[in-house]
Amino acid sequence: MKLVVNGNSYEVPCPADTPLLWALREEVGLTGTKFGCGKALCGACTVHVDGEPKRSCVTPCGDVVDKAIITIEGLVRDSVLHPVQQAWVEENVPQCGYCQAGQIMTAVVLLRAKPQPTDAEIDDAMSANLCRCGTYPRIRKTVHRAAELLAAAPPAVTK
Amino acid sequence: MTELSRRGFLGGLLAGGGALVLAACGGGARGAQTLRIQHADQTGELVANLYISVLPTGRVALVVNKAEIGQGVTTGYATMVADEIGVPLDHVDVLFAGANAALRTSANMQITGGSTSTMEAFVPLRQAAASAREMLIAAAAEQWRVPVTLCRAVDGHVEHLADKLSFGELTKHAARMPVPASPRLKTAKEFTLIGKVDRRIDARAKVDGTAQFGIDVSVPNMVNAFAIHGPVYGAKPLTVTADAAKARPGVLAVIAMPWGVAIVADKFWQARAAAADVRITWDKGLVAGLDTTKMRDALRAHDGTGEGQVSKHDGNAADALADADVTIGGVYEAPYLAHATLEPQNATVAVSGGRAEVWAPTQSPTLVQAFVANALGIDMEHVTVHVTLCGGGFGRRAIADVCAQAAMIAAHVKRPVKLTWTRESDMTQAWYRPIYSVKVEGALRGGKVTGARIHAVSQSIALSGKTLFGAALSKLPGPVVDMVTNAALALFSTSSFGDIFATEGIANSPYQLGNFELSSEPVQTKLPVAFWRSVGNSVTGFVMEGFIDELAVAAKQDPFALRRQLLPPNSKQTRVLDALAKLSGWATPPGTGIGRGMARHFAFETECAQVVELSVVRDRIRVHRVYCVVDCGLAINPDIVKAQMEGAIIFGLSAALDQEITLVNGVVQQRNYDTFPLLRMHECPEIIVEILPSDAPPSGVGEPGLPPIAPAVANALFALTNVRLRRLPLHRAWAERGAA
Repeated sequence: MKLVVNGNSYEVPCPADTPLLWALREEVGLTGTKFGCGKALCGACTVHVDGEPKRSCVTPCGDVVDKAIITIEGLVRDSVLHPVQQAWVEENVPQCGYCQAGQIMTAVVLLRAKPQPTDAEIDDAMSANLCRCGTYPRIRKTVHRAAELLAAAPPAVTK
Repeated sequence: MTELSRRGFLGGLLAGGGALVLAACGGGARGAQTLRIQHADQTGELVANLYISVLPTGRVALVVNKAEIGQGVTTGYATMVADEIGVPLDHVDVLFAGANAALRTSANMQITGGSTSTMEAFVPLRQAAASAREMLIAAAAEQWRVPVTLCRAVDGHVEHLADKLSFGELTKHAARMPVPASPRLKTAKEFTLIGKVDRRIDARAKVDGTAQFGIDVSVPNMVNAFAIHGPVYGAKPLTVTADAAKARPGVLAVIAMPWGVAIVADKFWQARAAAADVRITWDKGLVAGLDTTKMRDALRAHDGTGEGQVSKHDGNAADALADADVTIGGVYEAPYLAHATLEPQNATVAVSGGRAEVWAPTQSPTLVQAFVANALGIDMEHVTVHVTLCGGGFGRRAIADVCAQAAMIAAHVKRPVKLTWTRESDMTQAWYRPIYSVKVEGALRGGKVTGARIHAVSQSIALSGKTLFGAALSKLPGPVVDMVTNAALALFSTSSFGDIFATEGIANSPYQLGNFELSSEPVQTKLPVAFWRSVGNSVTGFVMEGFIDELAVAAKQDPFALRRQLLPPNSKQTRVLDALAKLSGWATPPGTGIGRGMARHFAFETECAQVVELSVVRDRIRVHRVYCVVDCGLAINPDIVKAQMEGAIIFGLSAALDQEITLVNGVVQQRNYDTFPLLRMHECPEIIVEILPSDAPPSGVGEPGLPPIAPAVANALFALTNVRLRRLPLHRAWAERGAA
């Protein structure tokens, strides 16, 4: 089965019903996408599929063949962080850090749809991503900061 | 520097000495200097002591013997070292220490807990850095033939007038300098980073996907394991039917273990898929029949006042209650709780020739050694531990049960194994925060508080811990079991074991209540209980601060004013409380429909007080704002202190409002985040934190923000609704108010 991840093609030996999460982590070798709940409850495994946020722990590989999959690693271009990642660093968002890939992937899609989101729009988009350390107040603040950075310098789009 | 060369060198360095504290002078051993010089000549590295090495690149390698569980210990330690040695913060590289007896700095353990890391290291770690700095300065001074007192270390260089040598240029020479017996520490006025740094050193790796957690470990020849645990804690498989599972691609073995069934495959996804084809029958397990509803009823019905262990007896509380014109009180209750770290428990273990090598996200390499040694019947010293980043800790990762299970699988398949628990295993095998039932009685006469009597019943961590650890470590020699259990328990307590966790936060309460009696009785079940963020304080804060609020109502006093009266004058407590009243605008009444409540607690040497503003919408408590004032001594990194307050408030609010672990007929009813909910962003209040300036040494930060939040919410709810809730979680108590 062929998966297109961060612009590269990978032949993976998984059956079609294997969750994308494990194909990414174990076959493609990208471990930035995390396993949290296995039931689409926490959002730690969020990736982009054709530009939409997907819970990779419940997304069968067979459903995403030939689609454009972007993981947290794919946001970095030539060692330069995506503006959303950059904002996350500036505002010291991560504590343990485990959920942050999923948070960032969700925020990137939000900011694409709503370049200047309100607090309510941020809450609406981000409330499905859990954080056990309690970084929510910072995430809310940082999405606004990311909006500023994105307005100043939009990133190139990975195909 | 490779870890191997480092270990080899340090092993030699310590051969004759063995520093049990964060030694500033790792060179105490005979022959240490010879070794240090040889090593420097070969590698260019100045290994100043156990903690600090300066590399020929000028970078500083710092060995951290603590776990980074999100609390920011790596940034804090790096900041202290960078400031003291004189390099920019980004010149420090953190290496996590493996298990090493010389690095057991907490009650003869390597363990991260009790909010002790910064307190513990504040002086010795800076001594270690200062020692290295003085060796570098001595080397430069010798080259320049000037007195050391005229040289200084700044920005990775030693300077004297116009002369300047980088640290990297000085390492070989510095290795020849004597280790200072008592290096001079910078005064607070000289700090350039401590108290000023406002960033985290681990942020970038945690946003770009490169941070390596335990679950990301990969070692050569490794296979993966999926564990199936029984429906009841401690259940053993009786029969396992797995022919179809074994025939699946990639599956290497299906193994019945004393703790469950392991499916081993090349890849985790293969093992996970094969689980659908495994049929298991189980024995009845260790907690068959345990029912938390019945347990709660029994605890409520039990009036043990005056029984059990008396922790405090000032004056005569019984007389005060008898003579009172008003008495108040009730039973405060709290459920079992899981940690629910977002990274499920996992470990990677290789076993061969009577030795084991473990890679794990752990809060205690020492306990990893003990659990794995016990599981395999080998010596603790034969267990090597590599510590990874931890996706949350909160006390759960002090217990190394998953490491023991991975070790048993690895021994069976004779290949390195990574065992990753499902969320369901993580939640049903959690070593829970214990259940509590605390009866409080308060006496007032003429509007004044005249006494109080408190009787706490809880599943004892100390007693259960000893029993459970004892059972978990049955193969280890008795003295070793005692060592690890006592040390783990001692870390979280301040006096004898007894039932310290049942009464911590009450026994040491600063309130001056006059006649006061405090006693406790333990309950024991075979459901494991252990440390959960702030431990006993997570309940006793709720008890004490709800109780004080009840006293204020009975005395017809403002809750702030009564606290002010009952606390020692001019104390840390009153300073924090006054700052909180100011920050929260306590003197001004809250808006219409808003309930406002206050609570404070002293734990881990830190005073923290909070005001909550909330409303109730369709039977849901909506917390809008939390004001938090904390006195944690010197804040090494104020923004991390703020983050820990925010995090502890949100962690505590999740528990206060909604979380509980319940058992029906021995089966834990919560298995994932749908039934054990965490607060979500749209439910998250605005949080305003003020850190009181302080010259005192740093005190705890990771846990003290938690205890005040539940009572502040309950007190605010009372202010709004006149309903006093004494039971957690509050949403259940609210729904069932009037029923009990």
